[in-house]
Amino acid sequence: MPQTLDLGRLTCLVVEDSSFLRSLLMSCLNALGINQIKVAEDGGDAIEFLKLQKLNPMKAGILSVDLIISNWQMAPVDGMILMRWVRRHADSPNRFVPFIMVTGHSGLTSIAEARDSGVTEFLAKPFSIAQVAQKIQMVIERPRQFVHSASYFGPDRRRHDGVHNGPERRVLTDKSPGVEVILG
Amino acid sequence: MADPGKAAVTVRLYRFRNVLKEKTAGASGTPGEALTIDPNALQAANAALEKMSEDYPDWVGKIIVELRGHLLRCIDTPAVRARRYAMIRHIAHDMKGQGGTFGFPLITTFASSLYDCVGPRSGTTDSHIEIIKSHIDAMSAVIKDRVKGNGGEVGKALTAGLKDAIGKHGKSK
Repeated sequence: MPQTLDLGRLTCLVVEDSSFLRSLLMSCLNALGINQIKVAEDGGDAIEFLKLQKLNPMKAGILSVDLIISNWQMAPVDGMILMRWVRRHADSPNRFVPFIMVTGHSGLTSIAEARDSGVTEFLAKPFSIAQVAQKIQMVIERPRQFVHSASYFGPDRRRHDGVHNGPERRVLTDKSPGVEVILG
Repeated sequence: MADPGKAAVTVRLYRFRNVLKEKTAGASGTPGEALTIDPNALQAANAALEKMSEDYPDWVGKIIVELRGHLLRCIDTPAVRARRYAMIRHIAHDMKGQGGTFGFPLITTFASSLYDCVGPRSGTTDSHIEIIKSHIDAMSAVIKDRVKGNGGEVGKALTAGLKDAIGKHGKSK
């Protein structure tokens, strides 16, 4: 029998410019058991909050953020800019934090762009509560190693080890020259 | 000092212990054990959504008023059409992402079509403005009559009406 998750100790940052959707996400995450939910109205607001959390966790009201759920299309700072900041900026409190991008962009080009910038999971709009829960469960159940190369930093973009139809581009192994495995 | 016989590191693979699983399922869980969200919590979250869905028509009604404001500016000041399109497009993008969540998939369908109508290369003729107006009218009708789900016959009629309007004004562009 599967083990039931207790989400009560998770801290989640919700970044959404629509007040109505923000309220919905907060209510639903709360109902799912997440007690600590911080909100930001756009990417810039989120960045300021994350900086504060790093510099002064007491003032921010939390010690760490376990999960970011962010809308993509927001102004002036959108979800993509926020994610790049989280993944790459020296001021980011946790460059490895799981990042769920909520998006109405369904084109393959957009999805590839977000994936190549380090998104952990996508949540397509319009979404259901079951889909929100499923994404959170995936983040917890199936975390991926992080890859840092000259052109990419983020979760391993290949999710499966199974048969791959197409050219084999994953040529490096743990033993390859130039590869360093960091455990923590 | 770097080992001259060792290749410079070009790729780092970070493998951390699963802290989130430890926080939510405890450290003692069996590796590979299936996890699940509490079904009662899921039910409570759905109830929260249901409750908010009751307020959705009022909320989206205000957004439609905002859209009509942009439409009016497009009608009375043709020079600002392209700029207003960008604003309409932003609103339509939000609307298409929300309707389905709150039980109004027709809002998602019509907003998606409106989004495509006000792209950077869209026409700015009076006929095109009529097409935009038809979208806003169709969304107004969905909300006014609380047309949930696919809307049955009413939904079909609204969809057909919008399609006709697009066809009629599209030809005269």
